[in-house]
Amino acid sequence: MNKLIPLFFLVFSIEISGDEENKLDFNNDAYPFSSEAKETLFYSLLNELRCPKCQSSNLSGSNSPISNDLKREVYELVLEGNSAEQIKSHLVQRYGNFIIYNPPIEPATYILWFGPFLLILLAIFIILFVRKR
Amino acid sequence: MKKVIDIFPLAIFVVLLIVLFSFLSEKDDQLETALVDSDFPDFSLSALSNDNKTLTKGDISKLPALINVWATWCIACRVEHPFLMQLKNESVLTIYGLNYKDNRTKALSLLERDGDPYEFSIYDFEGRLAIDLGVYGAPETFFVDKNGVIRERHVGVVDETVWEKKFAKYLNE
Repeated sequence: MNKLIPLFFLVFSIEISGDEENKLDFNNDAYPFSSEAKETLFYSLLNELRCPKCQSSNLSGSNSPISNDLKREVYELVLEGNSAEQIKSHLVQRYGNFIIYNPPIEPATYILWFGPFLLILLAIFIILFVRKR
Repeated sequence: MKKVIDIFPLAIFVVLLIVLFSFLSEKDDQLETALVDSDFPDFSLSALSNDNKTLTKGDISKLPALINVWATWCIACRVEHPFLMQLKNESVLTIYGLNYKDNRTKALSLLERDGDPYEFSIYDFEGRLAIDLGVYGAPETFFVDKNGVIRERHVGVVDETVWEKKFAKYLNE
């Protein structure tokens, strides 16, 4: 059983280091803000929203025309004083859950959210079963 | 009992294989259509043919209609162009163009050379209406029914097959 513990850490270690690398060097002149809160909101949203064209990149990491349009859209929505949730739902209405990296838990995404845990349980089950023999 | 256990990994592998492969073919590469069954969005943009003419949702009045997102930089748009011309010439339904991130002069000369299947084209240089439509690129085509509701969206070239499969059924509602 002790041998299984490192396996657990290995499985769950993947997500932990996710946030550090997203601190990109932005050209601040392109998106001027009056308050720091709005600026923080803007850049955190750019990290959370996916580029629809490139699909494996977020908005902050993409320079495609559609990403730049969406950055402008997010920028304007932030300036108008919308909250993170309002802006995300504004874009989800148009682009679907695909646009956010953190999709809501609903029937269509159950397999996404719970599938991995089922697979882990299955793996544990198999390992225990095989070891018992 | 031992035999059952021996087969277990293989069985799981086969099941996974079947499930994953079925997902591969199922979605037909189509993106999520978030806007289906919602009203066509409001907009205020200039006409492709006239910088000074402002078009709004009210101008899309001949319904049902197709809204076709196109541009001169979009090669696939030229592939579907003859089919759009055919829809127009056979008076199947009205087609409105959404000229997307394009050069106005180039766009107009292309329509002059190859024919203009559109009732009019909306000039969306900044991709404003495109964002409200959830457009990823060009070509994309939306079917708007007689009540102004988006019923279907197709990403990619529209041809006879796509028309029959995805759009034709909404025409006779």
